[in-house]
Amino acid sequence: MLQFIQFALTRAFMALVTLLTVSLIVFTLMEMVPGSCAERYLAFKNTQGAQITIDDIEAEERRLGLDRPFVERWGKWVGNVFFRGEFGDSCILRLDINQLLADKFWISLGICMAALLLSYMIAIPVGIYSASTSNAVVNNGLRFTSYLGLALPNFLLALIIMLISTVLFGDSLTGLFSKEFRDAAWSWEKFQDFLSRAWLPIFILGWSATAFALQTVRALMLDEIGKLYVTAASARGVTGSRLLWRYPARHALGPVVNSLGFDLNRIFNELPIVALILTLTEAGALLFESLARSNDQQLAGAIIFLLTASIVLLNFLTDILLALLDPRVRRGLMG
Amino acid sequence: MLMSLRKRETGVDQRAKEAYFTASQGQLIWARFRSNRTSMIAGWALVIMILMGIFAPFLSPYDPTIAGRDKDYENGAPQIPRFWDENGFSFRPFIYATERERSIKTNFRWVVTENRDKRLYVHFFVRDWEYTLFHLNWDLPGDRFDVDVALIRSDIHLFGVEGGKIHLFGTDASGKDIFSRTLHAIWTSLAVGTLGVLISFVLALVIGGVAGYFGGWIDSVLQMVTDAIRTVPSIPLFMALAAFMPDHWSSETRFFFISIILGVIGWPTLARRIRTHLLTERTQEYVLAAELCGASSPHVIRRHLLPSFTSYIIVDLMISFPYMVRSETALSFIGLGLKDPVNSLGALMQNVSQADVLLNYQWYFIPVIFFVALVLAFVFVGDGLRDAADPYSGTKK
Repeated sequence: MLQFIQFALTRAFMALVTLLTVSLIVFTLMEMVPGSCAERYLAFKNTQGAQITIDDIEAEERRLGLDRPFVERWGKWVGNVFFRGEFGDSCILRLDINQLLADKFWISLGICMAALLLSYMIAIPVGIYSASTSNAVVNNGLRFTSYLGLALPNFLLALIIMLISTVLFGDSLTGLFSKEFRDAAWSWEKFQDFLSRAWLPIFILGWSATAFALQTVRALMLDEIGKLYVTAASARGVTGSRLLWRYPARHALGPVVNSLGFDLNRIFNELPIVALILTLTEAGALLFESLARSNDQQLAGAIIFLLTASIVLLNFLTDILLALLDPRVRRGLMG
Repeated sequence: MLMSLRKRETGVDQRAKEAYFTASQGQLIWARFRSNRTSMIAGWALVIMILMGIFAPFLSPYDPTIAGRDKDYENGAPQIPRFWDENGFSFRPFIYATERERSIKTNFRWVVTENRDKRLYVHFFVRDWEYTLFHLNWDLPGDRFDVDVALIRSDIHLFGVEGGKIHLFGTDASGKDIFSRTLHAIWTSLAVGTLGVLISFVLALVIGGVAGYFGGWIDSVLQMVTDAIRTVPSIPLFMALAAFMPDHWSSETRFFFISIILGVIGWPTLARRIRTHLLTERTQEYVLAAELCGASSPHVIRRHLLPSFTSYIIVDLMISFPYMVRSETALSFIGLGLKDPVNSLGALMQNVSQADVLLNYQWYFIPVIFFVALVLAFVFVGDGLRDAADPYSGTKK
C-alpha cells in the first residue's frame, strides 16, 4: 500500500512538473503576442475618443505589473492559477476570466468527454470483433472507414452534415441552445434542450476519435490474439466471445486506457474549428475569438492552459486507474 | 525477380534466392511494397497528384489569381465538355457559349444563360497567360534572401477554348477558375507540408538524437520538455502562433511562417521515436565494437546508428505528412493560415461554410475531394511503407 501511495505521489509530482512546463510555454506565448495588454486597452480607449499619451500607457503598465521582469510575472501568474484558481482579467473585455469562462469551459469539457466516451463505446467492440474475424469485406471496410476518419477532417464532416440538413430540413443545426434558453439559468428543461442540440458536435468530434481508437484497439488485439496463452485457453475449450473478452481483450485494453489522454488532446484540437462552423458558444469558440479577432492573450492563455490541464489530469487519473486495474502493475506496487 | 521470394520453398530458382539474400534493405523494402496492391494504387495516385501540382500552370487554362478572373462568369457552374447534343456529333469536345444579362426580366440581377446553338470547341496546347515552371521567387524579409530562378518560361497550356473561357470546376465569387486554383492549391499544400516535415525532422533528429545518445539527465530534461509540448493541443497552439502574423506580411512570408509553425510544433512525436530507438541501439554490440575501435561519438552516430533506422525515419515522415497538410488546411480554413492570393486547399475551402454556398454553389466543394484523395493517398502509401520497412512483416503472416 505504501508503495502505491509513493507511486501515486510520484505521478502527481510529475503531472505538476508537466503543468509547470506547460504554464511556462503558454506564458511565453502570451508574452510574445505583439503589443501588451496595457497598450491594447488604451488603444481601445483611444477609439472611444479619449486622448492617450505615452505616460498613460506607462501608468497602465505599472498598474498591471507589466514593468516587472518576466520570471516574476510568470511566477505571479502561475501562483494565482495554482493556489487561487484565478486567471486575472481579460485584456479586451475587462472582465474576470473565471466569470467569463466558467460555464463555457465545463460545457466544452462535457462535450469532449462525451465524444471520447462515444468513440470508445464504438471502437472497443468493433475493434475486438474486426481483429478476431477473417472476413475480408468487414476488415477492408473498417480499414477504409478508419482512414477516412483521418482524411475527412471533422470540419469537413460538419460541413457535409450542415449541407445535407440545410437542403433536407431547412435547419443548419447550429448553436448549442435554443433562443429562449440562451441566458437562462441551468434547469432540467435547459439541459434537455442542450442535449437535443449537443449530439451533433459530440458526434462530429467523436468521428475521427473513433477512427483512431478503432485502429489502436484493432492493432493491440491483433498483437495479443496470436499469443500462446490465447491458444492455450482455446485448447482448454474456451471459445467465442468469452475467449476474446477474458483473455486477449484484457491485455489489449490496458494500453488503450493509457492513450485516453492523447485522444482527448486530439478532440481538443478539433474543438475550436468545429465550434466555429457550428457557431457553438463555448470555450473553443471563445478561444478562436480571443486569438483570431481580438488578440486577447490573457483569455487565450487561460483557455489553452485549462485544456492542457484537463489532459494532464486525465493522464494522471488513467495512470492510477491502470495501476489499480492491471494485476501485474498492482502486484509490483503493493507486493 | 524479388517478387518470387514468396514462392521460394517450391521453386528451385537459385538466382532468385541469391538475389533475395544479397539484396540491399532498400531493394527488399521496395519488393515488399510492390506486392501490396492498395499501396501501389495509392502511390500512383500520389505521383499523379504531385505531378499535377508541379505542372499546375501548364495544366490550368487560367491564372489562379485575381488576374485570371472571368468577370462574365462569376459563381459559374462547372462546364463539362461534351461530344454530342441535339445538333449532332463532333469529334472535338465542345462547351456552350454563355451570355450574361441583367434587365427587368431578371429582376436586375446578373443571370448567365447557356446558348446551346453556339459551340466553343476545346483546343489543345493553346497560348494564354505566361507562366514559369520550377520557378523560385522568394521575397523574404531582408534582400539577401531573395531568390529568383526560373527554368522554363512559357505560355502554352494543355487546353483552352477559342472565343470564350472554359471552367471545368466552375468559378468562385470573383470569377476565378476553380480548376486552376485547385491545381495550384495542391502544389501549395504539398510545399507547406514538405517544408513543415523537413523542419520538424531536423528538430526531431537533433533533440531526439541528443536525448537518446547521451541519456542520463540530458535525456530526462529533454523528455520533460517533449512531453509538455506533446500534451498541449496542437491546433490551439497553431492558432496562437498564427495569430502573431501581422496582416501586412506578404503571402510568401506567411507561407514560410506557417511552415515553420507546423515544423516547430510537429517534432515531439518523431523525436521520441528516434530517442527510443537510439536508447535500444546504443547498447548493441556493434556500437560497442565501434567504440572499442576508437570511433568518436559523431562517427558512431553517423555511420552506425543513423543507417540502422533510416527506413523507420522515412516511414515516419511519410506518416506525419498528412497531419501537416491537414493542420495547414484547418488553419487556412479558419482564416489564420494562408490567404489570397496564395491558393492552398484550406484557403479554397474558406467560403464553403456560408449558407448560400451550401445551397447554391455546391461546386465550391470540388477541392474537398482532392484534399481527401491527397490525404488518403498519403496514408495508404505511409501504411504500405511501414509494413514494407518492417523486416518481420512477412514472417508474421
